[in-house]
Amino acid sequence: MPIFEHGSVKVEVDEDGFMQNPEEWTEEVAAALATTEGVDELGEEHWKVIHFLRDYYQKFGVAPMIRKLCKETGFKLKKIYELFPSGPAKGACKVAGLAKPTGCV
Amino acid sequence: MKRSEKAQKVVDGFQESVKLRQMLLSLAGCAHCGLCNDSCHYYLATGDPEMTPAAKSDKIRRLYKYHNDRLGRIFPWWVGGETLKTDEDLEELKDIVYGSCTMCRRCTFNCPFGIDTALLMRTARGLITAQGVAPEGILSVMKDQWEIGNQMGVTPKDYIETLEWLEEEVQDELPDFKVPIDKEGADIVYVINPREVKYAPQSLMAAFKIFHLAGENWTMPSQGWDNTNFGLFSGDNKLGAHMGNLAFNQAKKLGVKKMVISECGHGFRSTKWESPNWAKANPLPFEIESILETMVRYVNQGRIVLDRTRNKEPVTYHDPCNLSRSAGITEEPRFLLKRSCMDFREMYPNRQDSFCCTGGGGAMSMSEYASKRIEVGRIKADQIRATGAKHVATACHNCEDGLSDLVKHYKLGVTVKNVCEFVADACALPEEKRKLVSMPIADIAKGKKILVIDDQPDVVQYLEAFLKDQGFSVVIAMNGAQGLAKAKQERPDLITLDITMPGKSGIEVFTALRKDPDTKDIPVFIITGVMNFRQLMYYREVMPPDAYMEKPIDTEALLLNLRRLLDERKHGSKPADTANMTAV
Repeated sequence: MPIFEHGSVKVEVDEDGFMQNPEEWTEEVAAALATTEGVDELGEEHWKVIHFLRDYYQKFGVAPMIRKLCKETGFKLKKIYELFPSGPAKGACKVAGLAKPTGCV
Repeated sequence: MKRSEKAQKVVDGFQESVKLRQMLLSLAGCAHCGLCNDSCHYYLATGDPEMTPAAKSDKIRRLYKYHNDRLGRIFPWWVGGETLKTDEDLEELKDIVYGSCTMCRRCTFNCPFGIDTALLMRTARGLITAQGVAPEGILSVMKDQWEIGNQMGVTPKDYIETLEWLEEEVQDELPDFKVPIDKEGADIVYVINPREVKYAPQSLMAAFKIFHLAGENWTMPSQGWDNTNFGLFSGDNKLGAHMGNLAFNQAKKLGVKKMVISECGHGFRSTKWESPNWAKANPLPFEIESILETMVRYVNQGRIVLDRTRNKEPVTYHDPCNLSRSAGITEEPRFLLKRSCMDFREMYPNRQDSFCCTGGGGAMSMSEYASKRIEVGRIKADQIRATGAKHVATACHNCEDGLSDLVKHYKLGVTVKNVCEFVADACALPEEKRKLVSMPIADIAKGKKILVIDDQPDVVQYLEAFLKDQGFSVVIAMNGAQGLAKAKQERPDLITLDITMPGKSGIEVFTALRKDPDTKDIPVFIITGVMNFRQLMYYREVMPPDAYMEKPIDTEALLLNLRRLLDERKHGSKPADTANMTAV
């Protein structure tokens, strides 16, 4: 399995760059992973998205529907894409330490 | 050595598959001539001879040589025959059939024998997958499709709530918009890729907007809404039939005339061409079309009006394998993009020769092969870069994600979107459309000559008076022969043509007009009372008509079409680029 390294962060990831062991996730890891998704700095709004995704994932074991993400964070779809240019599935979920979503994504 | 249980089942299954004629041809026919080498992006990017289509399919062909070839059955080593013995052999085969081929079928188009490598791969995938040997991502998607009925495990509640939420989102722009769900008496049902409700609903919102603006009598189904089918990728015909049945049964229940498939390459191919066979559901009581075809119809009927100035930046189009090579849809997206964008650029090679986005054949759900996928994607990345475009349009969600990975890795600096998103952005809203209709057409009409060919005196009288009122000069022909003579003699700027006429029919007249070098470039606007005439027109060897309308004549649509045709003529984007368009 490939290892993702950035600064002092070192985590195991799959070939798509998603964390292999989501329980190893820390905020520092998130900040490091964000750099691979075109986000150089994580602001308050980013964290709101990330924390919601993580909480949901820990509770249900899957990524939430985009509707839930928008409703719960109060962000419009456009805003989510502004925060994470590569989108909710491959961008935000990766940074939040979720496993790679299944299917055609 | 005794064969493992799994390997034995694969070998037994293989013997069954060899009974299929196309399979037999693809196994026995290869001359190893090497013509397919350059067609495969895996070989082109790596230069590894093991990655040529012939070498990869030999991994399956060797079974045929060992078990079926007459000489091979006695001296397998002489003909390169080999059999599968262990579970490790199956794992090795998995890396080839799942990990080294996206079943894009580009090699088939370059093979003098028509060897269908994708068929070999799919068959082998089916055999090993039945033994549980497949990438985990594929197995989990198959499970979701079997158990929940869609590839992303979206629950019915989540699905309906998402549609309701999207209704509100679309209402921001179109306040009276509603999403009909299970509407009885709807003409069309729209089936989608689960990615559209789970993660990326932009394309769904675009389609909603277009249906609304076109005044379509449509509905979303409450179930059987997933157009994707991992039966195609996994070689599991039973799953293929199951997914087909889910969608077909719901559409039958709703009694729709048409099932429209959202922009998904394999979804369209499997739902239209494969599932009806897997599910033994032919003939289906409704038609199946891609939303690309639907949108072309809306434009041609004047139901949506496109303003290309709203998409100013250069746009190119990536042909999804399953649409271009396996479903014949290549011209519709170009027709739409040229009318929705100011600067449309071709990517080379294109259409049936297009290279795979690298995500085909279910590759997006196989993380274990992702780095290889991106490595061989260099071929596609170079092509995109060469266009200089700022946006890549494509008609497949899988391609969208595959290409987005390449954009990120190769730093291409472009965005990737579905075709309907460009169309929706270019669509005039109701009040803008009304403005366009009420705008005086006199400036455009001045000095323009229209030839009206129709045998019905009342229609001729009406058209003549109406067109003259708008400022056009009008020439009349009351039958086909007269129409042809006048077209040649008068060289009009536009011809309106009826279909049912005594003597030469409109179809004969139309073909003759298109074949005569003097008249072939004149836009032809079919105005007819004959329903379903479009197949008659589109299955001919000439360019399709530039617009069509059914009688009774709707003046608003008539004006919009005249404006569009004359505008296209002025800007030199006459729809002559629609030569190979399929029936719409």
